Amino acid sequence: MAEMDLQELPEFCLKPTLILGCGNILFGDDGFGCAVVEYLQSHYPVPADVCLADAGTGVRKLLFTLCLSPARPRRMLILDAFDVGRAPGQLFELDPAEIPAVKMDDFSLHQLPTSNLLRELQQHCGIEVRVLACQTAPLPGHISVGFSEEVQQAVRKAAERIATEYFIAPAAAEPGGVLWNTRV
Amino acid sequence: MGKKLVIQPVTRIEGHAKVTIQLDDAGNVDTARVNVIELRGFEKFCLGRPVEDLPRITPRICGVCPWSHHLASAKATDAVFGVKPPPAGKKLRELCNSVAYMEEHILHFYFLAGADFLLGPEADYSVRNVLGILKAAPEVAKRVVRVRHMCAKMLEMLAGKPIHPQAAVPGGFSKPLRLEERDQLRKMADEALELAKFSITFAKENIFPKYLDVVKSLGVITTGFLGTVTDQGALNLYHGKLRLMAPNGSFSDFPYDQYTEHISEHIEPWSYLKFQYAKNWGCFSMDLEKPGGIYRANTLARINVCDHIDTPLAQKELEEFRAKFGRPAQLTLLYHWARLIELLYNAENAIRLLDDPEITSTETRVQVTPRAARGVGCVEAPRGTLIHDYTTDADGMITNVNLIVGTTHNNAPINMSVTQAAKNLIHDGKYDQGILNTVEMSIRAYDPCLSCATHRLDGKLGVRLDILDSNGRLLESLAN
Repeated sequence: MAEMDLQELPEFCLKPTLILGCGNILFGDDGFGCAVVEYLQSHYPVPADVCLADAGTGVRKLLFTLCLSPARPRRMLILDAFDVGRAPGQLFELDPAEIPAVKMDDFSLHQLPTSNLLRELQQHCGIEVRVLACQTAPLPGHISVGFSEEVQQAVRKAAERIATEYFIAPAAAEPGGVLWNTRV
Repeated sequence: MGKKLVIQPVTRIEGHAKVTIQLDDAGNVDTARVNVIELRGFEKFCLGRPVEDLPRITPRICGVCPWSHHLASAKATDAVFGVKPPPAGKKLRELCNSVAYMEEHILHFYFLAGADFLLGPEADYSVRNVLGILKAAPEVAKRVVRVRHMCAKMLEMLAGKPIHPQAAVPGGFSKPLRLEERDQLRKMADEALELAKFSITFAKENIFPKYLDVVKSLGVITTGFLGTVTDQGALNLYHGKLRLMAPNGSFSDFPYDQYTEHISEHIEPWSYLKFQYAKNWGCFSMDLEKPGGIYRANTLARINVCDHIDTPLAQKELEEFRAKFGRPAQLTLLYHWARLIELLYNAENAIRLLDDPEITSTETRVQVTPRAARGVGCVEAPRGTLIHDYTTDADGMITNVNLIVGTTHNNAPINMSVTQAAKNLIHDGKYDQGILNTVEMSIRAYDPCLSCATHRLDGKLGVRLDILDSNGRLLESLAN
């Protein structure tokens, strides 16, 4: 088998910084991550060393590839919606290392444990992994497009801070710096 | 007092997926039930929307099989508008389908089913992960990575974006394929074929013989099958007629837009998801000894219903498969073997399409005009026959939508397979994590499409095994 030419790898493997927006825009605030990516793309010039992507509901496949790829980003920021009982619209960071290893129902590719994949990437693949979360308002139980007012505002705030740290003045950012003060 | 075992991830939306095994007073399995979520509110959301929006919206339903929804939706819009895509448009769609299939079947076999076969069903969950497989079979993993990359790259070249496709449009395909792109894709398809050949050979030599006892016993049920075939009876995953095969091998063929005349729905009070069954076979029953109306979809079903495969290597594998297991083959774990035959077929099909001079034609779509109509689109999603059924008004706005996803066809069989597996493995109230994982293997074979409507990252999800008494009181809880 021919050895892999690194240039054949997708962009998300090759650029030093990877920012992935996750979520489903059909389910209210769940689309937070995708909305932040869209806001960044339309309001800021994305530097050449940053891969900014809307992963939608397909992030697991990307993470699989990263786990096995011979080339990986140095750091990765995941943008996602969470429901952990905070005030709607509140932004906070999660460290994958702090998330306990759990077994998920791996009945299908739909159920693969994303949190476990992130931990593997952080602990075994040398990637600095950060998760920027936004607390949702109660999610609809059926398809319903559109954000709560709190999360709508959080999209802009998140984008501004990400642009400051990753786009405009990346050299000024502290290694492993925290985007927000509160942590889970 | 009977006990109830519950395998349930905790999710934000109630009732995402749950397995409940009910033990009787002697500690033997009485029943097993599998609940999966269905997509709710989709029809309401679509009402009043332009029908051409749906091929753009539906890929967002599912992060694992976006291409299947995208193509079924595009075909439904073709039917609503009363048009047929030009040959290049049709072939480009089919090519994307084959490439998407390859990417997915590779991922499923090596990293989902692979964890069962390479690491063993008794392996601790902490090693049943991607890096665990990389450690167990590093050279295989590297090869898989390369080909998956290529498949994603192929889709990006064909459709402009690898995630949430939009290239299939009403009336055809939005982007013609240039000659230089075709030449690049052709080389990639060759390499994908090599991996497909390697995969099935590797599995036949190293995996299936080792687990033949499990294959012959786990989750085995007797059902009919549903799949798509061409007019000549050949396997086809993009277009054809539906074939409904009874357990004895007899079958009936019908156009997919007449599915309601052959397939009906049954409702159980304990399930969110309906149970599809063959309405002309009698009453619905999930009794293991005397099932009624039950059929399966997905890889094994398609391999069973087709008379032949019109690509040479896959056809040869089909002949070998049938010589070993007959037709129709009923062993549930043969879904994995069938998946590898399909992987081979899709690689050969991709090469065949790329070698077709028509595929680089610039005529890839036709114009459409709104009208009041009903249109049905049907493709074989990796998990089973996928049907999109749309009705529009004179302005082309949606007035009704119905989706039947692949897993819906398998809802009853999944329940039956889990019941069968649990009954064989759990006796006298004794079970452990390895046994429960083995029960889960019977579900994994079907690769059920649980709605990715939302997802969670916070790790608070986990499998919690609750043992409840027959009054619902918690007796014991196992947590990972």
